[in-house]
Amino acid sequence: MTQATRIVGHSVPRMDAPGKVTGTALYAADFALPGMLYGKVLRSREPHARLVRVDTSRAARLPGVRAVITATDVPDVRYGGSVKDERVFARERIRFAGQPLAAVAATSLDAATAALAAIEVVATPLAPVLDVAAALSPAAPLVHEAWASYTALPILHRAGNVCNRARIVVGDVERGFVEADRIFENRFTTSSVHQGYTEPRAAVAQWDSSGLVTVWSNTQLPFEIQTTLAEILQMPPSKVRIIVPGIGGGFGGKLRIGMEHFAALLAMKTGRPVKVMTSSEEELTAAYARQPAIVEVKTGVTNDGRLTAREARLWFDTGAFAGSGPGVASVATLMLAGPYRIPNLLLEGFAVYTNKTNFGSFRAPSGPQANFAVESQMDIIADALGVDPLELRLKNIVREGEEGPTGQVLTAVGLEECLRRAADAIGWQDRRPEAGRGKGIACGWWTTTGGSSGVYIKVNPDGTIALNTGAAEIGTAALTGAAQVLAEDLGVQLTDINVVSADTLSTPFDFGAQGSRTAFAVGNACRAAVADLKRQILALASKHLGVEEHALTLREGSVAGEGKRATLAELARISQASGGGLIAHGTFVAPPTAYDAKRVEGHVYPAFHSPSFHAHAVDLSVDAQTGEVTIHRYVVAQDVGFAVNPSAIEGQIEGGVAQGLGQALSEEIVYDNGRVLNANLTDYKMPTALDVPRVESILVQHPSLVGPFGAKGVGEPPNIEPPAAIANAVASAAGVRITSLPITPEKVALALRARAT
Amino acid sequence: MTRIPLSLIINGQTHEVLAEPHRTLLDVLRTDLGLVGTKENCLEAECGVCTVLVEGAAVNACILLAAQCQGRAIVTIEGLAAPGQLHPLQQAFIDHGAVQCGYCIPGMLLAAKAYLDESPEPNENGVREALAGNLCRCTGYQRIIEAVLSAARVLRASPTPASPETAS
Repeated sequence: MTQATRIVGHSVPRMDAPGKVTGTALYAADFALPGMLYGKVLRSREPHARLVRVDTSRAARLPGVRAVITATDVPDVRYGGSVKDERVFARERIRFAGQPLAAVAATSLDAATAALAAIEVVATPLAPVLDVAAALSPAAPLVHEAWASYTALPILHRAGNVCNRARIVVGDVERGFVEADRIFENRFTTSSVHQGYTEPRAAVAQWDSSGLVTVWSNTQLPFEIQTTLAEILQMPPSKVRIIVPGIGGGFGGKLRIGMEHFAALLAMKTGRPVKVMTSSEEELTAAYARQPAIVEVKTGVTNDGRLTAREARLWFDTGAFAGSGPGVASVATLMLAGPYRIPNLLLEGFAVYTNKTNFGSFRAPSGPQANFAVESQMDIIADALGVDPLELRLKNIVREGEEGPTGQVLTAVGLEECLRRAADAIGWQDRRPEAGRGKGIACGWWTTTGGSSGVYIKVNPDGTIALNTGAAEIGTAALTGAAQVLAEDLGVQLTDINVVSADTLSTPFDFGAQGSRTAFAVGNACRAAVADLKRQILALASKHLGVEEHALTLREGSVAGEGKRATLAELARISQASGGGLIAHGTFVAPPTAYDAKRVEGHVYPAFHSPSFHAHAVDLSVDAQTGEVTIHRYVVAQDVGFAVNPSAIEGQIEGGVAQGLGQALSEEIVYDNGRVLNANLTDYKMPTALDVPRVESILVQHPSLVGPFGAKGVGEPPNIEPPAAIANAVASAAGVRITSLPITPEKVALALRARAT
Repeated sequence: MTRIPLSLIINGQTHEVLAEPHRTLLDVLRTDLGLVGTKENCLEAECGVCTVLVEGAAVNACILLAAQCQGRAIVTIEGLAAPGQLHPLQQAFIDHGAVQCGYCIPGMLLAAKAYLDESPEPNENGVREALAGNLCRCTGYQRIIEAVLSAARVLRASPTPASPETAS
């Protein structure tokens, strides 16, 4: 920034903090209406079965039960984002343990729970397709026998149990391997991990006499839920209103439809408001956890450490439905390239059906899985060549003006600075300070998701500003960031702004709180709205003051010129009396990122908008007996473009690392024969205050050409590199390379023992 | 099921409620009394979002029966400070950026309050241990820990409770 800023670039407290610390902030899970019933969902215990009968007659007669619904009570609609393969309730065939079979509404949660137990399900078990390997075997049963008849995005490459194969082809990978002196082939696996938001998914639905259903839910994407629910209910979207009262964390787990349809259907049947909320067991068995992955990476390199070719394949277990899978498999291919200059590429991402829950999007979807593989392999290569891992990276990273894997021209590339500053901070020159202790580094890149955003901004009669946005605040302080942009541009204080958000009936469209885009896109929409509002203000002030517009300036809540002055409050009141009030509409859509379409197939995400770059470095010790990892220091250098709110960004980095360390070290949804063994928070081990080390953040700022004041997306990236950084540091400290996540003490200890024998 | 009359002293005020004996304090707080500042999640005392103070001790309201609280002084987030005021812990959480989605924060604040009442001169490890039963998925705990340590300094300088209800 060449000019000093008043509000952006400063660490101001988030606007919603007072409500959140006093317990007055309302979340969807807190929402209640008079006369409300409680809904619960009956879920299959079988991972794969022919559904013979669901008998609800006994349950319906129980005291307090007001409705029991099954597949026969709802329109037979298949829905889904890229492949329409899902239904509200299973019909004929059960495809995962946890699949909804029926739902009840009752006057109390106890009565609803009792009713679930009284529903009789008759199903004939079938052999389940347990994982990707089984799904891809020639003899595998089809998870969806009628897959070819489903409506799907035409660009997807689907075949049997594969619901998308996304591909990037650059140059000639075989020739690239011929040019290589050494070729490295490695295989990695990762486990499913849950977003772990502390607020369960919840929805309250109520129908009015006009046939409009309002659903208060904690979705990250109210406008997507509006259209999906309309499709499920076979109604026009205008008859579906989604309001987000507040969200207790999402991390991608609240993108797709959650409890909204159950609440709406039960409310329709009973004529009463109905609330449906998940249990921890439902979250860990039937939500949108991160896809488990198998990654195979083959990389060619010259003796002096130049990468010549990479052939890599990543298979995601997408579970019983496509959901986010086809898109996430696409993003994965960009992550398999890494932020490196590799002239020859053959990269494939697969989304594969199995008989498990529909795995979904989790903060930087595909990022940690692909990054764990390629960044682990970078260290394997460096060790084999006898090259410093940092030097190997610096030799191959993309730089300003170079091409990304699909031909996009990269700008604002702060990667070298990230790597050097993270390495300096961790004390890289002393990589193995003592026995059993070592340092690791990993780097990566990520997108700032585009999509469009609209805002209205309105001047209140006291001169303060109402910001009306369709985006939901999911906890990242992104709307505080957007409001900072608004306050900066309009010349008012942050405390002058009130935010109204996420109501599909009254707020402008927003592509949603996903993909690190909210502050970026809503911030830019605010800038556009301010430009319009300023024109209105100056025109009105000119008329009111009798001064030409060009002689007027708007500053600190007043318009002044030629010795005359009018406050925003005065102008707002004048406009309210004579012109309907001062209100402006601002919109933003990320400009398309140019790429070479010949390089991609089956790809729904061919380029990274305004990409960010980052490096993580960790210093840890490994206990030679137990295999336990103790982290001494953890450093993140992240190119954020421009730090709109440095403190809030550091908070994103600290939290993203904590989640990433969970995936790296302790978290795993464990399956046995298609059933989850650890569907509770005792056995699903998320990091506590005793487990997460202090995280040191370095904010690198290479301004993006598009984001407000040069900002890039910041929310997802910190979640990407922890598994690779930890794996590399463990290898450095203990001399053992762990290629599967999580890196548990058991795996490390076993590897140490295997090496000793 | 038979309901029993209960007299619950919440944030200094006595509430008379009729509740089935198996119902939890969390359920009664949220459903009967509308005190939804106390949050609901795992219902197995694993996540800590429902933490309240009972006779000054931090407990998980999700596994405590309301009937066990008969006549005992309960503090919820709504009573940590007088309306319109902030307890030094609340102010510190705002100032240190310790809040993101905020769903764990009421429980976190009450766990911290119970700890600081017992340990007015805490160190970082002590705070980490005291908050180990309260999961936060947003912050990585760092700013929460800094906020608690900072609030402890403020409280030592001016130990008067922010509100009479919180005196234990």
